[in-house]
Amino acid sequence: MKLHPLSIPYRGLSRGASVGFMLYFVGQSLSGTDFLPAPLDQPILVALAGVAVVTVWQVAYFRRFEYELTDDGLDVASGVLSRRHREIPLGRIQNVDISRNVLQRALGVAAVDVETAGGGATEASLQYVDYDEAKRLQREIQRRKRGGDGAGESDAEAAGAADAEAELFALDLDDLLLLSVLSFDLRYLSLLAFGPAAFPVVPGFAEVAFVGGVVLVALLLAGLWALSAAVTFARYYGFRLARVGDELRYERGLLQRYDGSIPLEKVQTITLRENVLMRRVGYATLAVETAGYAPGQTPSGGSEAAVPLATRESVLELANELEEFDPPEFERPPERARTRYAIRYALSLAVLAGLLLGTRALFGVPGSQALAAAPLAFVVLAPVAGHLKWLNRGYAVGEDHVFTRNGFWTRTTKVVPYYRIQTVIQSRTPFQRRQRWRLASVVIDTASSAGGPALAADLDREDATALRERLGEQLQANLAERRSESESRSVSDSDSQSDSDSDSKSQSDSDSDSDSSGPAGPARRD
Amino acid sequence: METLNPRVRLVWAVGAVVTATVLGAVAAAVDRFVFEVGVPVVVAVAGLALAAGVVNAVLKYRIWRFDVREDDLYLERGVLTRVNTVVPFVRVQHVDTQRGPVERTLGLASVVVYTAGSRGADVTVPGLTPERADELQERLRRLAIESERESDAV
Repeated sequence: MKLHPLSIPYRGLSRGASVGFMLYFVGQSLSGTDFLPAPLDQPILVALAGVAVVTVWQVAYFRRFEYELTDDGLDVASGVLSRRHREIPLGRIQNVDISRNVLQRALGVAAVDVETAGGGATEASLQYVDYDEAKRLQREIQRRKRGGDGAGESDAEAAGAADAEAELFALDLDDLLLLSVLSFDLRYLSLLAFGPAAFPVVPGFAEVAFVGGVVLVALLLAGLWALSAAVTFARYYGFRLARVGDELRYERGLLQRYDGSIPLEKVQTITLRENVLMRRVGYATLAVETAGYAPGQTPSGGSEAAVPLATRESVLELANELEEFDPPEFERPPERARTRYAIRYALSLAVLAGLLLGTRALFGVPGSQALAAAPLAFVVLAPVAGHLKWLNRGYAVGEDHVFTRNGFWTRTTKVVPYYRIQTVIQSRTPFQRRQRWRLASVVIDTASSAGGPALAADLDREDATALRERLGEQLQANLAERRSESESRSVSDSDSQSDSDSDSKSQSDSDSDSDSSGPAGPARRD
Repeated sequence: METLNPRVRLVWAVGAVVTATVLGAVAAAVDRFVFEVGVPVVVAVAGLALAAGVVNAVLKYRIWRFDVREDDLYLERGVLTRVNTVVPFVRVQHVDTQRGPVERTLGLASVVVYTAGSRGADVTVPGLTPERADELQERLRRLAIESERESDAV
């Protein structure tokens, strides 16, 4: 299959515009010199030449780009100069995301991103195809995946089941507005770094400047809040989550519209987030994480978000629909950990004050001594901060899941099914190791690529060791359980395990499909 | 619990020498081109780095332990922050053996175990004799395949 023909002018324009601009300025600085051949001695001509080259390139790209969905997977052949042929096995596909910005919507085209767990970047990106074709691909990938799975199911039946869509959640306008107001992304605070630069430091008027600074910071904060609210509003406008057979489908976005699929069998962890404001009004956010995106990469569609905002009860209900678990009873770190947090906060404030006083003494930076010592005033808050941190921390061991909880400003609760655990890492820093504290932390790592691994912080040392061993045992027990389940479900179908057998990062070795359950062959070659 | 080959201390010590040399060279360059700190300081910097590196190598060797258990590979390591890692065989994606130039000279090898996890996705067991490394690799590979049938896709 080819891309949509409109993708040529679209890609040509979007890519050509930036190249054209750049070349225009290059041309401007070069015109009048002897560098350019006489007929091209006009900045605008240089720019147009650049745009023309880009357009020709896009035509070639279009002609060379070919994709096909087969029963085994998605084949993509692309590349103008160096050609690449890529096959993505169906069972390895994690997320299928469709995105359209305003212009693309007007043209009726969409970008399709197909993610697997391997590699860094998006594995297949179709830019751009017809919107209906994009939807068809999304549906077909799901249908064919199941077609390979279910033995007796006919295509028509499968398609029928795939079409049955059950809406799980829709965000109404009131909730969207509430969400926009409540979710303040702390990362915007980094913009505050420009604050001090915005007002000049006047020697001798430090106190006046300080007051001015406070006012300025307050104004900036309000502005950033508004900005953050607007971004959130545009992002989650018209959010809808539905369950289609064995997949979750979501739609969202005001300017750029996203629609993506998350296969339920690929879900690694479920994350519940509540910031301080949300907790006050009893709301929460739910995220469903898969291994589709590389660590550190911003998900193209943010598809890990399952529910941007809903009441705590309905979020829990929804989480239970995805993974069945009893409400966890969290065990907090021992109380000595709280003392440690308080001491740690107090110490870091003291160090900050020390640094300020030190730089003042050394370099004569303006500002009174009292101002530099100001952090010390907050030491009284250290026990409070320590207590809040302690209060919101904890872990719980359930029947099929392990839960961790961290953070006061944004409390994050992670639900990890035992059979998703990759590695368990117990660590003790030199401070945790001191006889006085005897603490340890346990990191429960999964293949989930968003939001970081689950952390059970500051457990009693013995408890941490017990948890580490327990998790390993639970993983084995849980896997054995799942295996016997899947074996009793499909004894006859030797292909049935092909999907669940091996991991997507490894090469798919045909060995794993052969069903002889004998002892591991001594010389199986990959 | 298995300990590493004692010669691994030499491998790490060589690393410490390299680090100390680089640090000494930087200090010397600062002394020469930026502001004079004096030759004793340069020597002290290099000497301290070397001493710290050697002490670190000795302690690291003393603490490093690993064990191929029934269902998982268990490691204990870390001089300052103690880290105990459990890597279930089911999660092993592939296993490498590695031999750097220093390791080759000293007749040692490392085994690197990869998982699909987001953190600690690769775990290195250093300081093994080549035979032991090959054996460990083969064993882990077999155990991984054996348990693979129970495993689940990412």
